[in-house]
Amino acid sequence: MIEPVTPNSTILTVERLGVHFEERPALEDISLSFSAGETVGLLGPNGAGKSTLLRCIAGMIPPTHGSVSFGPGADGGKARAVYVPQRSSVDWTFPVSVLDVALMALRTKRSRFRPFSRADEAIALDALERVGMRNSAPHQIGALSGGQQQRVFLARALMQEGDFYLLDEPFTGVDVPTQDMLIELFGKLREEGKTIIYATHDLAQAHRSSTRIVLIRRRIVADGPPDVVMTAENLLSCFGGGLPDLAGSRS
Amino acid sequence: MIDWLVDPVRHTFMQHAYLAILMVGVICGVTGVFVTLRGLAFMGDAMAHAVFPGVVIAFLTGGNFLVGALIAAVIVSLGIGAVSQSTRLSNDTAIGVFFAGAFALGIALISAQRTYTRDLNSFLLGSILGVSREDLLLTALVGLFVLAVVILFRRELTTVAFDRTFARATGLKLWRYDQLFLIILSLAIVISLQTVGNVLVLAMLVTPAATARLLTDRLKVMIGLSALIGALSGWIGLTISYHAGIASGASIVLVATTIFLVAFLFAPRTGIITSTIRRRLHYHHPEQDTFPDDLQVSD
Repeated sequence: MIEPVTPNSTILTVERLGVHFEERPALEDISLSFSAGETVGLLGPNGAGKSTLLRCIAGMIPPTHGSVSFGPGADGGKARAVYVPQRSSVDWTFPVSVLDVALMALRTKRSRFRPFSRADEAIALDALERVGMRNSAPHQIGALSGGQQQRVFLARALMQEGDFYLLDEPFTGVDVPTQDMLIELFGKLREEGKTIIYATHDLAQAHRSSTRIVLIRRRIVADGPPDVVMTAENLLSCFGGGLPDLAGSRS
Repeated sequence: MIDWLVDPVRHTFMQHAYLAILMVGVICGVTGVFVTLRGLAFMGDAMAHAVFPGVVIAFLTGGNFLVGALIAAVIVSLGIGAVSQSTRLSNDTAIGVFFAGAFALGIALISAQRTYTRDLNSFLLGSILGVSREDLLLTALVGLFVLAVVILFRRELTTVAFDRTFARATGLKLWRYDQLFLIILSLAIVISLQTVGNVLVLAMLVTPAATARLLTDRLKVMIGLSALIGALSGWIGLTISYHAGIASGASIVLVATTIFLVAFLFAPRTGIITSTIRRRLHYHHPEQDTFPDDLQVSD
């Protein structure tokens, strides 16, 4: 096992964060801090603000109130966030191969005056190997299944070498092998001291693959280890009447 | 056949025309790849019309029409960008407003002239035989600039076109590259005006790129093929126009359209006819399936 460079140091702090879209509050009074090596499931119903929180941390949406601040990362500088969007935001007919998509991660790191080298391609192939997609490298991205596409985006995210990963609904719409691969990958990243924050509305999945759960419905409903947080009472107040069966079976 | 190809090239005015259309074919082919991949055909059409007042003003004041068109293109592309950024109007609505408004301004200006009809005609349909040395030089410079920008910013342009969320998450300023692309697009259009004209320039942007897309799944190959098809359409189209005495712009676009239709029907993997034939070849006839070979020998 690889020891985290800065074990349990605070890598990300969200303070009294609020995000409003044209007067409509999407998030209110969110305060959270994250340590290196945590795997945090953001759990809540559709429209709870999970994606908004991830995008705000990733710097893609400006906060209306409050702040997001980064602790030191593995290389001593400011911790780097890598955001993995939901699959649907991509043009699947685009003429790029799986390898091309992975190589997009190196755009910010390589000279624009040179093409990507053999070594760069080797890095991309390694990342694809980690998600079990190496053999699909030459295929057009749209020719893959939903789960396989999600894996390719994960490989691209791995190549960005962040200190923490923000994943929006990684388990949604993917096949079982991909879900298993994701859980395994989460474990490996945790061993490397990487922090994972992911949004989900799947209770069982969240319980199985998180070291910490944040229940969210515009505000924080509860925050802590899965067993402590996922009580019938908390889930009911987070999801409302949407999950009567599950709430009933747990009480 | 050789004579048919070589004969027009003997004239100096045709040499200029050939050089111009080859450059235009390549530049529009390359730019057009991003136009089609981003679904900006309407934008391309709009831009072609929107540069019209610039051309007219240059014509009326005796300035170089490429410069006039360029100024108009930059103003209109910035205007479209600004309106669609800052209001509730969608992009194509903003395009519609500017495109029609600018075109009307151009027509208003030129309709005050006595030679109205003839002038309008040459603007809208191109006048390829009037390509001067200076025009060629300017076309080459603008073309080199366009190609250099596309090559240098290939990764950014590709990322912005393919996956905008990822582009933004990795720190790309989307509007900056959208704006850059609009300027590239307007440059490509401006240098095409003289050879293919206002009305048909859209085909030079869309048709070769669409044809190339049918033939490959690789972006680099697509760009190369698109440039090649653009140049080839220009060459053949111009030659046909010379011999048949038809308008050069129309002739060039018809050749490009023909190449597209051939690819649409016969492309190795995506062609309508090719894939039908392939399905037929793999189709097992029921009477053959009744007694498969392995069953017959298994006694």
